[in-house]
Amino acid sequence: MARSIRMAVVLMMVAAIAVTGCAKKKRIADEAAIGGTGNEEALNESSSLGRYKRGLGPEEGGVLKDVHFAYDSYELDGSARDVLAANAEWLKENKRARTEIEGHCDERGTVEYNLALGAKRGKSVKDYLVSLGVASERLTTISYGEELPLCRDASEQCYARNRRVHFVPPSE
Amino acid sequence: MGLGGYRRGWGVCRSVIVGMAMWAALGAGNAGAQVRGTIVGPGATSYPIAVSPLRSSSGAEQAAGTFADLVAKDLDLSGLFKVINRGAYIEDPQRSGVTADTIDFRDWSTIGAQALVKGSIERDGEGLIVEARLFDVVEGKQIGGKRYRAGDDELRRIAHRFADEIMQILTGERGPFESRIAFASRRKGRFKEIYAMSLDAGDLHAVTRDGSIALAPSWSPDGRSLLFTSFASGNPSLFSIELGGEKRLLSSRSGLNLGGRWSPGGRAIAVALESGGATDIALLDPNGQVMHFVTKDRGIDVSPSWSPDGESIVFCSDRGGGPQIYVVGAQGGAPRRVTFEGSYNTSPAWSPKGDRIAYASRVGGRFQVYTVGIGGGDVKKITSTRGDNEDPSWSPDGRYLVFSSTRDGSGAIYFSDAAGTRQTRLTPSGGDDSSPAWSRWLE
Repeated sequence: MARSIRMAVVLMMVAAIAVTGCAKKKRIADEAAIGGTGNEEALNESSSLGRYKRGLGPEEGGVLKDVHFAYDSYELDGSARDVLAANAEWLKENKRARTEIEGHCDERGTVEYNLALGAKRGKSVKDYLVSLGVASERLTTISYGEELPLCRDASEQCYARNRRVHFVPPSE
Repeated sequence: MGLGGYRRGWGVCRSVIVGMAMWAALGAGNAGAQVRGTIVGPGATSYPIAVSPLRSSSGAEQAAGTFADLVAKDLDLSGLFKVINRGAYIEDPQRSGVTADTIDFRDWSTIGAQALVKGSIERDGEGLIVEARLFDVVEGKQIGGKRYRAGDDELRRIAHRFADEIMQILTGERGPFESRIAFASRRKGRFKEIYAMSLDAGDLHAVTRDGSIALAPSWSPDGRSLLFTSFASGNPSLFSIELGGEKRLLSSRSGLNLGGRWSPGGRAIAVALESGGATDIALLDPNGQVMHFVTKDRGIDVSPSWSPDGESIVFCSDRGGGPQIYVVGAQGGAPRRVTFEGSYNTSPAWSPKGDRIAYASRVGGRFQVYTVGIGGGDVKKITSTRGDNEDPSWSPDGRYLVFSSTRDGSGAIYFSDAAGTRQTRLTPSGGDDSSPAWSRWLE
């Protein structure tokens, strides 16, 4: 009850600011973040996005190896499972290590669908690692869709490299 | 109540933002219906029209040429007109009349013009006064005319507005040019930002400066702000930004907050939200709070687009295996599949006329733009070029499409009539442009 009254008051304040309008436009822009869940975190400089912002291309492999996928697929094939088994062993030996699982796609298909596909790839990998005994709290996921490719030639070889899950170098 | 306040807030700001202080109908001549009907649609025989530079007073010479150039370019782009080359014009615009009783129409019928645009422009304090008139050359009378008072920065917009007016008079349907196109691009450096432009691309400018990845723009119904998804703070979150204003965080749930689209009435935002790998269509209120989920599925549901009545949403889903186009009620329910040809159909856009859906389909390893009736029948191929043609978006009048294409190398934005008869590149190539979104008519 108290909560709903508080919510109503917030909504009234937002409405009042909107009506009184233009002079305080910047202030409205600052205050309107009530839709978010506020889970902002400092950007990991070693992630593909962190590297991109520093003018560097994404990394391939690392201590945890990349996993590759067929076109428009988020299924793990035999070689993907082998790679993940080795990655799971490493994570079990380094019990405090945490990593972010990045889902990536090749350039074919639209931007939005590929972001969703990358999220599916990340989830497949995370679920499999958890099934092998890695605690899910140690694994976060993010999709970059087709936005951060390793290569940009229109060849099947390049597409195959870009259809990957990459692990951000683990940190404790 | 929150919704009402928000909407009223926009209303209050409107009078301040729109500086196009006045326009008025000009001249006694009624919009004669005589020529209406000679123009059937894009691709029909082009209608010959002359667009004379405006007669200008001191200080308005350049604007006089710009106005005529923009009107001529729009009419040409429409595919409905053959704009007669200015080199053939006999009358000197500075020494000839701009009203029906002072124009010698033989000077125009001789060069083949059936319609004629003439007018005048003068400086008035801080701004410009433009009088533009449309004449029926055969009948020798005025069939349309408008007077505009505008700032120099609005010249472009009133030229597009008058082109729309000409199309209204000669085709019975308002033209699509007083509108804007937004898209994502890497044209200035390595970062992907949101850009916006008029149809002539002469005012192409960056809207975001996130220095990250910004994508999937779409317009508010009034064409003054954009929704987009940005990785600026790490997580792909949904933002709104006013042109020339501040951006505002709308939704930053963990995972994708992707591809927001305002409902036609501006009361809700359809968006794709991801949680645990599954991406579903949800409706947000104008402050970014989830109102309800429209779809709930283990697979991928993305790229929502509203029906013009706001009752339904078309989207892309892989629930049947590969990506296909589905329609669902905005309140939820069982989606109905629309596309059955092709194994990979995506990025649907519902025509503002309501009758068709444009989308991209993978054929022989490349993407082409198609349209389909909302019932799933009458599939039409719009593009068949090399490279990929993706992300179609409809004009406000539903007669045209824009889409991205890599047919000339790097992605650029292309314009086409809805049948694909004539396709024109709008943006300079080399920008890696993608995901164009056409606004409704500007208010």
